[in-house]
Amino acid sequence: MQKETLDLRLGDLLKRHFGYSSFRPGQWEIIERILRGENVLGLMATGGGKSVTYQLPALYLPGTAVVVSPLISLMTDQVQQLRGKRKIPAAYINSTMEPAETRERLFEISRGAYKLIYVSPEKLQNSAVQKALVRAGVSMLAIDEAHCISQWGHDFRTDYLRLPQVVQSLGSPPVLAVTATATPGVKAEICDLFDIKQENVITQPLNRENIAIDVILAESEADRRQMVKKSIDELQGPGIVYCSTRQTVELLVAEYQLSGKKSVHGYHGGMSSMERMVVQTQFLRGELDAIIATNAFGMGIDKSDIRFVLHYHFPPSLEAYAQEIGRVGRDGKAGYAGLYYVPEDRLIHTHLQEKEYPTTEQALRFLQGLSQAGTKPISELAMHDIPEEMAALLFFYAELAGIVSDVAAGREEYRYELSDASQMGNLAEKASQMIEAMEKPKWLKRQKLLEMLRWLEGNECYRMRLNRYFGELDHTSSAACCSHCGLDRSAYLDKSGSRTERTGKNAWNLRKALEKLLPNKKGGSIF
Amino acid sequence: MSSSTLHDREWAFIRSLTITGMLPLAGERTVQALYYILRGRKANQTLQDVHLYSLYPYYRMFPRLLKEDWEKIVYKLQEESLLIPMQRAESGRKPSFVLTEKALQIASESEREYNFSYWFEPFTAADIAEQIDLFWLRLHLIVQTVSHLLEGDLSFQPIVQEKRTQRWVKECLADKERRARWTEGLAQELFCSMSPLSESVQEMIFQRFSGVSQSGLTLSQLSLRKREAPAYIHMQIRCGLARMIRTIQDNRAEFPLLSALLKNEGGKDPRLTESASLTYVLAKQGSSIEQIANRRGIKPGTVEDHLVEIALRCPEWDGSRYLSAELAEEIVKISERLGTSRLRLIKDQLGPGVSYLQIRLALARKKGGEEDAKRDA
Ligand SMILES: Nc1ncnc2c1ncn2[C@@H]1O[C@H](COP(=O)(O)OP(=O)(O)O)[C@@H](O)[C@H]1O
Ligand SMILES: [Mg+2]
Ligand SMILES: [Zn+2]
Repeated sequence: MQKETLDLRLGDLLKRHFGYSSFRPGQWEIIERILRGENVLGLMATGGGKSVTYQLPALYLPGTAVVVSPLISLMTDQVQQLRGKRKIPAAYINSTMEPAETRERLFEISRGAYKLIYVSPEKLQNSAVQKALVRAGVSMLAIDEAHCISQWGHDFRTDYLRLPQVVQSLGSPPVLAVTATATPGVKAEICDLFDIKQENVITQPLNRENIAIDVILAESEADRRQMVKKSIDELQGPGIVYCSTRQTVELLVAEYQLSGKKSVHGYHGGMSSMERMVVQTQFLRGELDAIIATNAFGMGIDKSDIRFVLHYHFPPSLEAYAQEIGRVGRDGKAGYAGLYYVPEDRLIHTHLQEKEYPTTEQALRFLQGLSQAGTKPISELAMHDIPEEMAALLFFYAELAGIVSDVAAGREEYRYELSDASQMGNLAEKASQMIEAMEKPKWLKRQKLLEMLRWLEGNECYRMRLNRYFGELDHTSSAACCSHCGLDRSAYLDKSGSRTERTGKNAWNLRKALEKLLPNKKGGSIF
Repeated sequence: MSSSTLHDREWAFIRSLTITGMLPLAGERTVQALYYILRGRKANQTLQDVHLYSLYPYYRMFPRLLKEDWEKIVYKLQEESLLIPMQRAESGRKPSFVLTEKALQIASESEREYNFSYWFEPFTAADIAEQIDLFWLRLHLIVQTVSHLLEGDLSFQPIVQEKRTQRWVKECLADKERRARWTEGLAQELFCSMSPLSESVQEMIFQRFSGVSQSGLTLSQLSLRKREAPAYIHMQIRCGLARMIRTIQDNRAEFPLLSALLKNEGGKDPRLTESASLTYVLAKQGSSIEQIANRRGIKPGTVEDHLVEIALRCPEWDGSRYLSAELAEEIVKISERLGTSRLRLIKDQLGPGVSYLQIRLALARKKGGEEDAKRDA
């Protein structure tokens, strides 16, 4: 097809299904290559618009596109969006589904009912799933968060390692690997595994011109807390304040609410899922000026007018830092990223990294608690003094050690097959074997932390050094660069001074309240 | 009024609540017993305690309470000379605690302060906790969904993420007629079921709802607005929901829509996986393994796995149809003598008359008992 006509058709699909009038940098380049049947690596910042790069070709190509995604929640969100607003037939397959539901879905897939199938990496190993997809004809395989495949990446997942074989079983369709965070080493590894040519590596500039990077040295904890509270009051919102621990989130929220002017709310993994969703909804609707959160907040948040991100504690890696500040100013308007640096915070991170991994004793207790029945309620782990967050890690390493297989995480429980090795009795040995296997990722995390500290302590432009870490030389800025090059904080202050207050308190009336929440469209009172 | 007093109010409330709950347990149980009750542990010992001491209102009041936070509470009670740990001299008995005069004083004042007997009144059985959870998840999601349906906008982010609830709501609103019934009748039924509540509780429950016209408030936002301790508000809301459930249960005919929220899907047992609990329903009716497999369209081997799961989790299950008490005892003895749980080795000792299923059941029963004991340790 002529380039012009292809342009027109793609532009038309983009407008019709997504409502966008033009491509973002990098999107067209990626899509065009996929349509030519090339394997492509797309490097785009969080919020850069990676989804379109596989959703659009999926519509254009005959057959069904497969999207591998590691996060079940993101998978369901995207499918919901595609089916709803965008009117694109899409579905997902993951381990939370009932067997009967899966069977039905596979049947639909093999009939070719979908243009897009989202699937978790472990489900894609399943031969029934593969068979159904082959029957439908796989138009392309997209791998989201492709950095997970790298053993040197911070999110390494074993299921990803088996993907190159899967490509073959699916009839070798073109592969599109996309990620936001790849260092040169990770990039090379992905290209090698999926046979991607250098000219098909498309890099969207990582540099975020409109974000000013500020690093502020604080003398003490008290000093820092004072400064952060003042910033929340003064900065133009909405914004996010990241802290490394739940306790800090709670403390800061409580203190801020004593004297602060803006409306803020905490957000961390200890809150119930309903409370977290309510807070997120309020934030998306513009009802909160700031969210004070652990890193549990932000993944998959689609809000383009975030004006600032503050780091109460510095994050444990430059990857995390780039991702978190990347949430600022996706609308292209100027934004501010301020980090309050207290050198002692490194102790928090070393402590957290220690706590993240189990002791030999915990691993042993975990193994002893595995039952023949092949299910483990998550709530039971707490009773064995194993934090919930550790469960995934333990199952992962137990699988590596050959103790369990076919691990599937549900909302309330883990399901797995217990292998013969678990019957050998020598669980203590198995436990220390697991612990040993954890040494490498632990070491890696320490290296990442050192890189972060080096960046904080360094004496050159922060933007330049951040981009260089990810292999990018460009470091231009559109508003202000960084506190090393000099920046004027007052440009980011809230000029309106006042914020919209919630509607004043009226006398309570149940009938009226319900009429407002559930209005009768037929007119007249429902009562 | 500043929030620091809100912090103090929270402690004052928690203190009264825990002391009142600990009253019947003092000298009888460990300090952890109330923690397990508040978290809603599903172990035999905990459920027995709830019945024995009529602690129904406490059961599952704070399902997310962390052990470390509970320890802080106990520590503060000791620090304020309200609770004294007590070592048990007699061997075999667990350490308990006593409550001081001062604590008893607080307990007697707490009735006037917090009106516990009013709030606790609808809690007369342990299963009310499960009912409230189910009811609240469904109610919240159906309100949010209907609110959006009325606006003709269904691309919203459900606040309730739990898949089972989402499936249930989808089912409720599956076709045009059903959708019409909900959109036309929900407000009226909500009005009738909420109006018996005090205005303040009506408002609290209402403000937690999400929909087109409101995002909903979190507990801490409610607490800031009402200037009351979050835990106190939480307790009042739970009571409000329990009363709504009562009202609906007693007048089902008047609540054709809301009474659907109370129905349990297929007698699901929360201790079991969804599939195993369906098997349990049939097993309780006396069906054989083959019959269950046929009716459910699953393999007999899967049914056997379910029975093992039931043996492990449901101590009240009578499995004598599959395994006599004598045989069970023998299997456990052999397993102990051999120092192994390997099925093959045990079976070699027992001969062909004994099935793998029987061995697995016996071991599961033993383990279920041990796990209960271990958790209490
Ligand atoms: N071409 C485009 N024009 C305008 N907005 C876009 C375009 N492509 C993507 N977006 C928007 O950018 C945001 C982020 O897209 P997403 O694909 O989720 O990013 P990523 O996966 O790279 O983090 C979304 O809100 C999306 O609607
Ligand atoms: Mg994405
Ligand atoms: Zn600079």
